[in-house]
Formats: sequence, structure tokens, C-alpha cells
Amino acid sequence: MSAVMTLWGKHMQKLRIHPEEAFGMVIQSVLWVVLFGIGMKSLLGVTVGGGDAYMTFMVPGIVALTAMTAAVGGGLVWLTERIMGIVKEYLAAPIPRISILGGNALSIITKTLFQSIIILVLGVLIGATGNLDPLGWLGGIVLLTVYGLGFAGIALAFASKTNDPGSYHMVIFLFTLPLLFLSNALYPLESLPKWMEICARLNPTTYAVDGMRQTFMDSSVASSGGDYIALWICFVVLAAFAVICMSLAYFVFKRSIR
Amino acid sequence: MIEDIRCPICGSKTTIPTSKKGPNIGGQFHVCTRYPECKGKVAVESQNGNIVQAADFSERTYTSMAIQASGLVKRYSEEVLAVDGVDLNIEANTVYALLGPNGAGKTTTILILTTLLQPTSGSASVVGLDVVRKASDVRRRIGVTFQEMILDVELTGRQVLDYHGRFYGMKKAQRKAKISELLALVELEEAANRRVSTYSGGMKRRLELARGLMTEPEVLFLDEPTLGLDPQNRASIWDYLRNLKEQRGLTLLLTTHYMDEAEHLADRVGIIDQGHIVVEGTPRELIEQMGSDSIRIAGQGDGEKFIEEVRSLSFVQTVTTGDDLIQIGIDSGNKRLPEIVSVANNCGFVIEDISVTKPSLSDVFLKYTGRQLRDK
Ligand SMILES: Nc1ncnc2c1ncn2[C@@H]1O[C@H](COP(=O)(O)OP(=O)(O)O)[C@@H](O)[C@H]1O
Ligand SMILES: [Mg+2]
Repeated sequence: MSAVMTLWGKHMQKLRIHPEEAFGMVIQSVLWVVLFGIGMKSLLGVTVGGGDAYMTFMVPGIVALTAMTAAVGGGLVWLTERIMGIVKEYLAAPIPRISILGGNALSIITKTLFQSIIILVLGVLIGATGNLDPLGWLGGIVLLTVYGLGFAGIALAFASKTNDPGSYHMVIFLFTLPLLFLSNALYPLESLPKWMEICARLNPTTYAVDGMRQTFMDSSVASSGGDYIALWICFVVLAAFAVICMSLAYFVFKRSIR
Repeated sequence: MIEDIRCPICGSKTTIPTSKKGPNIGGQFHVCTRYPECKGKVAVESQNGNIVQAADFSERTYTSMAIQASGLVKRYSEEVLAVDGVDLNIEANTVYALLGPNGAGKTTTILILTTLLQPTSGSASVVGLDVVRKASDVRRRIGVTFQEMILDVELTGRQVLDYHGRFYGMKKAQRKAKISELLALVELEEAANRRVSTYSGGMKRRLELARGLMTEPEVLFLDEPTLGLDPQNRASIWDYLRNLKEQRGLTLLLTTHYMDEAEHLADRVGIIDQGHIVVEGTPRELIEQMGSDSIRIAGQGDGEKFIEEVRSLSFVQTVTTGDDLIQIGIDSGNKRLPEIVSVANNCGFVIEDISVTKPSLSDVFLKYTGRQLRDK
């Protein structure tokens, strides 16, 4: 456990040395909230209840995008350490192998939560109606963590496999936008064509977003008119997603350190 | 329980707790560095550096070997057999150099001994602990510097050492004391709070050396410690390494393809080529068997006849050939030179180049592998 914390501490220290890296990622989400949010509000206002309701509806989607981007991008730290050979220092140390993966996952989750919360707060400031019950926020943070863990798993698996930061960046792009658009993040599930709805229902982002609308946000304002997916289903689906992806990461990671 | 115990070799007394472990620790011996009189001989069993139980030498077969390997083989793939049956017996408190050209299997051997790679077959132990079955215990007791520089260049030198200590579970005060001691040793005190990215190659190597020593290892592995360094930096690394052995009772296994490095530093040298250790001994032994002088000849003509004739001369000790070079080990080069030249003339062998040198490890390498070891 102390090895996990040491690795986490080291990654946080590096983040302090290069704050622009984290900053750049937040900026992207900020632009989403501000530009897209305001634009869509005037365009779609009527369909989803008008005014701040669209903001309340949309902010969880942007938070999911932020979390996804942060988590997938977080894998770059591990990729860099692998390419530079720093992993050998860890492998020669008397620490359990899994703590290397654990330390990476923990630092990814930390960054993910940090960036997501910034966007959430910003969203509320701009006009989204937040949930007044702190328990809701607690639940939302759990959802975000589990959702982030899933993508951290995908990121760590990929970063254990490739040796090329360029292709890694490609994957971030290829991954994140379709997962955003093929979900209920920007428009209500009911309004989608059947095939898109099926895709959206297979997409963990949908469960994260729907869950966040019911936890971080005032669920009556965030509603698009249709029914929410039950909160417990969101938790279960995301937990399964996290377990599957982290197992995949562990499997690929184990093979990579042979 | 606290008990007085005597080091069986030097007889000095110490008070140690014996409650943690019984007498059967199964071959985990500790080099007695607390008692300088023991001169690094094995004296007491230990766990995590704490003396637990004195070993009874009269009734045990014990090993004073810091590193042992037998029949070590590593096959990376069908075609690549990197290590092909390496045996090692390296005594505690010695400096051992694995000398060999690129691709000889040095790094692979180090990676196996430091538990980063599993051998295909064969076995190895470090401080009496099997490197596969007791990997985690081995890791606790060794230090490593790798062939490539492996440093987080964004961190400062001090942070690099501090994080390293934390991975090994060292306490804060302990880390602090160790860091200032080591920074002084490798003369990096002034640069300690600077980012590693601003360090020169020599400074980085010294920092890596300090990192390898951070956790007070009993055995230090150094893979090409002076690779790519200028002569001045090499000399200072050599100084540190020699001191480590003498003052701290460390065992050092280093690899190198510089023969002068092996000659300067090592108590024993193993010459490794194509995954085999072809010959082993002290640098002196190895060189002396080449004769006290060596004549090198390059030329054209009936080389075979010439070699045959030379061999029959009574004062010639060895004749080796390789890479178009004939090398003759001889009692006294200057005195015998005319005779050798006249033998060549009689055989119709035309000498193009001839020189008399003191033999070195590179001559030994030539003898055993038929190829020259070039410093790159
Ligand atoms: N990871 C690897 N996969 C396949 N072949 C390797 C690997 N590492 C080293 N080799 C090969 O094994 C041989 C020995 O390499 P190495 O142990 O690095 O030698 P040295 O350190 O003496 O230069 C070389 O032929 C090298 O190409
Ligand atoms: Mg090498």
C-alpha cells in the first residue's frame, strides 16, 4: 500500500511541475460547457424544457467527457515511464507488482476527479441546477470514480501495450468523441434513432451521465422528459465496466513486465 | 527476548533480539560488516539487516558466496540464446567484472541476478537467496544501476533519492540522513536541488550510483557503469567503487566492455562471450598466463608454417591468432624480437607490422575467443 502511495505522490509531484498539462485538459471542457452549452441552450431550449434546464441536462455529459479524457490521458504517465525505462526502478524494488498498477490508477483517478469537479462547479455557476443534497454529490463522486476507473483500465492496458505516444494520442481522439456522441450526454435517449439508442445503451457513458443527472444535479430539472435509468443499474453497470477494464489492464500489464 | 551473542568468527559480542526467528533461517547469511575483524567473512544470520542469530559454523555448511549461479540459460526466442550456461561463484566483499563485447549476454545475466528476468533454466542465488523463489527478499538486499540511464529528469536529484528510499519503505529521518551522506559521497551536494535534466552525463551516473546505494545493499550490480563517460568521470566513478568495497564491505558485480575498467577495478574477471564465461581469474592471473611480454605481428605469407616454427621455440609461451593478427607470448619481448623476425624470414612470411606490448586483458580475450575486444 505504501508503494501505491509513493507512486501516487511522485505522479502528483510531476503534475505540480507541469501544471499546464492538466490545465490544458480542463480548458477543453470549459470551452465545451461555455460555447456548446450556450449555443445549444438557444437552439434546443424548447425541447428539453428551456432555459437552464438544458445546462442542467448537459453539464453531466461534459463532466463525463472530462472524466473520460482525463482518465484516458492519464495513461500517458505510465507510457512515458515505460518508454523511459523508469519502470525498471520499480521492478527492482521490493514492492508488489500490482502496486505499480495501483499507483497509476490512483493518480489517474485523482486527476479525473479533480478536473471533473472543476467542470461541475463551473457548470453550476453558469446556470445548471445542482442537487442540494450532499449525499447526492457523494453518490455522484462514486459514480465518477468507477467510471474513471474503467477508462483508467483501458488507458493502462493500452499504455502497457504500445510504445508510441503518437498512436496513444490518436486513440484518445478516436475513443472519446464517439463515446460522447453515441450516448445520452448531449441529447435525450428517446430522441435518438433506434440504432443510436442501442449504441448508447451499450455505452457506459450513458449510465455515468444518467447517474450524474440524478446525483449531482437536481434530477427534476435535468430531466429530458423520459424516464431515468434506475440509479442502482447505473452503479452496477459502471462497476462491472470498471472491474472488466481494470482486469484487462492487469492482464496486459503483467505481460508487459515480463 | 534479548540475548548476548557472539560473532563466531571474530568473537565480538552484541546484544540482539532472538524472539523474531528461530535458528533455522535456511541459509540467509549476513556478511559481518559490523565486525571489521571478520573481514567480510560470513558470521551471522540476519533479517532485514538486523542480526538475528549467529551461525554455527562447526555444524553448518555455509556459503560465503554473495552471488552464485549454475547453468544459467536465457533464451529469448528460437534464434536468440543470450546466456548459455553461465556459472558464477562470487565471494562476498569482492569486485567482480563481467568483461565482454556487446551482445555477449552481460545485461541479460544482470537482469536475471537482479530478479527482473526469469532464467530459461539453471539457478542463481544472491546472498544465499534464490533469485526466482525469493525474488522479493533478494530485491530488498541489492542495489542496481542499469545500462541505460534511468532517471526521472523532471525531479531534482534529492527527490530521485527520496522516492527511491520510499519505495523501499525507509523512514523519513533515515532517508534524510542517507541522502546527505550519499550526496557527499558522489559530490552532488550543490546540484541536489536542481532538476536532473540540468545534470551532465557524469552527474547523472553518479546520482544513479547514489540511488543504488540508497537502501544499503549488500550486493551492488552495475551494468556498464561508465558507458559513454569521459575519462575524468570514469576515473571518479572508479574511485567511488573501489572505496565502496573497501570501506563498506560491499560486493560489486559490474559489467563492462572496457578492458582497462576490468583491469583497474576488479578482484576477479570473468570474460564472457556469446553467453559463455570463457575464462575467469584475477586480472593478474589472466594476464600472466599470456607470458610477460607479447609480440603482435601482422603480415602475409605462409602463416601456418611460421606459427608452427614459432611454437617450437623454447622461450615462446603462447601463440594465438585471430583477425589476421598473430600474437606471441614471450618471456622478454625486446630480447627475442630479432629471433622471431628471422624465423619469419626463413618461412617466407612477410611482416607488415610488428610491436612489443605488455599483455593486457584484451590479449586474453583474443586468446579465448579468437576475436579482438575493441573499445567502442
Ligand atoms: N529483450 C530481448 N529480446 C530478444 N533478444 C534480446 C533481448 N535482450 C537482449 N537480446 C539479445 O541477447 C543477446 C545478449 O544481449 P545482452 O545481454 O544485452 O548483451 P550485452 O549486455 O553483453 O551487450 C544479444 O544478442 C541481444 O540482441
Ligand atoms: Mg549490455
